[in-house]
Amino acid sequence: MTAGDIAVRIKGVSHQFGEAGEAQHVRALLDTSLDIARGELLCLIGPSGCGKSTLLNVIGGLLAPTSGAVEVAGKPVRGPMPHEIAFVFQENALFPWNTVVENVRLGMLFQGVPKAAHETRARRALEAVGLADFAHHYPAQLSGGMRQRAALARALSLETDILLMDEPFGALDEQTRMILGEDLSVLLARTEKTIVFVTHSLGEAVFLADRVAVFSARPGTIKKIIRVDEPHPRKPDFATSEKFAALRNELYALLHDEIRKAVAEAARARVAGADGGAA
Amino acid sequence: MARRDERAARIGSRAVQAGFLLAVLILWYLATNRWGVNRLLLPNPISVWHQLLDVLRTGEYLPDLRVTLTELAAAFVLATTSGTIVGYFVSRSRYAIRVFDPLFAGIYSIPIILFLPLYVLFFGLGPASKIALGTTISFFPIVLSTIAGFGNVDRIFVTAARSMGASDYRLFRYVLVPAALPVILTGLRMGFTVALLSIIGSETIASLAGLGHHIVELAEGMDMARMFAYIAFVVVIAALLNGIVSFLEARGRRRG
Amino acid sequence: MNSPVRHFLPRHPGVVRLGAVIVILIAWEIAARWFIDPLFISPPSRVFASLGTVWQTNGVPAALRLTFFELAVAFAIAVVIGLVVGLAVGLQPFARRSMMPIILLLYGLPQITILPIFILYFGIGAASKIAFGVTHGMFPIVVTVVAGVQNLKPILLTSARSMGASRWHILRWVIFPHMIPSFFAGMRLGMTGVLLGVLLAELYVSTAGIGHFTTLFTENFDPTKLFGLIAMLAAMAIALNEIVRRAETRFGRWR
Repeated sequence: MTAGDIAVRIKGVSHQFGEAGEAQHVRALLDTSLDIARGELLCLIGPSGCGKSTLLNVIGGLLAPTSGAVEVAGKPVRGPMPHEIAFVFQENALFPWNTVVENVRLGMLFQGVPKAAHETRARRALEAVGLADFAHHYPAQLSGGMRQRAALARALSLETDILLMDEPFGALDEQTRMILGEDLSVLLARTEKTIVFVTHSLGEAVFLADRVAVFSARPGTIKKIIRVDEPHPRKPDFATSEKFAALRNELYALLHDEIRKAVAEAARARVAGADGGAA
Repeated sequence: MARRDERAARIGSRAVQAGFLLAVLILWYLATNRWGVNRLLLPNPISVWHQLLDVLRTGEYLPDLRVTLTELAAAFVLATTSGTIVGYFVSRSRYAIRVFDPLFAGIYSIPIILFLPLYVLFFGLGPASKIALGTTISFFPIVLSTIAGFGNVDRIFVTAARSMGASDYRLFRYVLVPAALPVILTGLRMGFTVALLSIIGSETIASLAGLGHHIVELAEGMDMARMFAYIAFVVVIAALLNGIVSFLEARGRRRG
Repeated sequence: MNSPVRHFLPRHPGVVRLGAVIVILIAWEIAARWFIDPLFISPPSRVFASLGTVWQTNGVPAALRLTFFELAVAFAIAVVIGLVVGLAVGLQPFARRSMMPIILLLYGLPQITILPIFILYFGIGAASKIAFGVTHGMFPIVVTVVAGVQNLKPILLTSARSMGASRWHILRWVIFPHMIPSFFAGMRLGMTGVLLGVLLAELYVSTAGIGHFTTLFTENFDPTKLFGLIAMLAAMAIALNEIVRRAETRFGRWR
């Protein structure tokens, strides 16, 4: 990849929470380096606590790493970059007191989009995610899947080059995830955004991603990167193909031990916490 | 790092609170001693302190305290008895709850202190009018919480007990009461607090005796330092009583 | 009992409630007419009949207007102070940690004990009634505003930050709309407090307010007029409470 093709450059990022020796000390990420190409969809997958969400927050400027640095479009990341990076969170981050379209417009207000452009951009974004008919509904009146579509619309309306999605479908049921995954693939094929997508789901990672970065258990670092060579938009029958199954199995093999390790570590930590009394 | 910040913040906020109290005391002292604020408006804090010690030493608060506590006890006992009994019987029927709960809540929402002149007209300036007002006001949180407590006992408990052959009395004593008790205890605590406030209040407004009345007497006699001292005394007594009641409530809830 | 009635009553508890109130009124009527000295209690029929005379008593309408004025002004001041202090304390974590215990301590004091001091400082006119109403009404508003600012989901702040919201943006578009329901709930409690404070002060000492007339009617052993006046005041209190409650339902909820 040439320098111009790199959207995000992650250099030796490590992050820990708390100080060594304290009860809340957590080494979340260990010396992670990665180059993300412009226009690619990269998935971060790994066991719980492996630092993938932490890495996403570092890329997006919501968290300053304890060491290492991230460059986005050639510029070092020192805080949120609303003109370059948009987020979609797992937890519902729509403002409950605003309607869907008001939420979308508010995002543009925050970013600094001139008022005149709000109407058209909002309409386009809502149409893209299929929520045009629900523009004046309140989040409480929508299903979980629709709320995440609205969150995505809000992110799209900001017209950033980079989209960071932190387990956006994590709180949804399997069927909704499937539908949203297919729709997302179609939608993203149309745009040329660079997307970093954190997920727990193996199938989702293979279905959506160009590359999948597999993380080890805590302290997390990239164990292996798997390439998914399939053109966008991904068709539904890709999910039943042999290529898909092979890739999914490869991911499973890589992850299984890490997941076991993470679960054992979590149990050990819980027991230690119970023995040692309140911190 | 987070731990250290946490501790620093806690110490810092305690320092601000202590500083605030200290500043108030210092300003008070300066205002009366240096800045010539009229002693008739703001007494010297030192004389207030002396007066407080004197009040405690001479025990001049005793007759008033006895009056107030008697009124309080009578009002609270009457309110508790009537409130819990009425509340229990209303709670026995869903329909009765729908009829009476909004009625009680509605009456409670108006300032019942308005009825004080009526009680004074009827009972005179003696303790009876205070007890009447205290009972009236205190009745409502108690009856409402009793209705809520008994009314919200999970049907499954009743079903389970009945299926094991529990009699009416057994059901009441071993299922309903323990289940309803936490809510009722909270209502009793609220009733107590409200009774105390309304009794001191009615003593202030229309009375011949009691702690509230004594404060007014001192005010009318322009004995500012002693009045301040007495107010401080009454505030401490009220805090003590409320503290005891809160403690009992917490104890009772924990057992249940 | 014929069928229609049996089906009607269970679905209309309000009717039965009204019936219960009427039963009480009848009991009151009977007791007052035939059993109790008319010097102490007046039957409801007589009270209703003489509402007009109460209204025509010299100074009563003015006193009612004055009391209403005291309530309105005290409420307005309490709301402003409550909102400003609540925001100042709620938005700054350090201020909240240090000041909240002090505020809660003051809130828990039996303010009735310092009523004589208020009168000494503010006089026996409207000012002391308003001041006493303000101190009773502002605390619930401060507490609820602080709580409203507090329980904002952190993800909403993170999301706003990630979209480039400035501090002003966050205050105006995230924190403010979030705390509006709490603010309206606080105002409802604040109105209750203001009613209590103003009425307590009025009953304590009053030269032109309704407290003057309650004392007058009491000393003259005129239960008819006293009941009537109190009924009018109760109606005023109910109306004010209802206004705040309606405002809360209309403006205080996110649909």
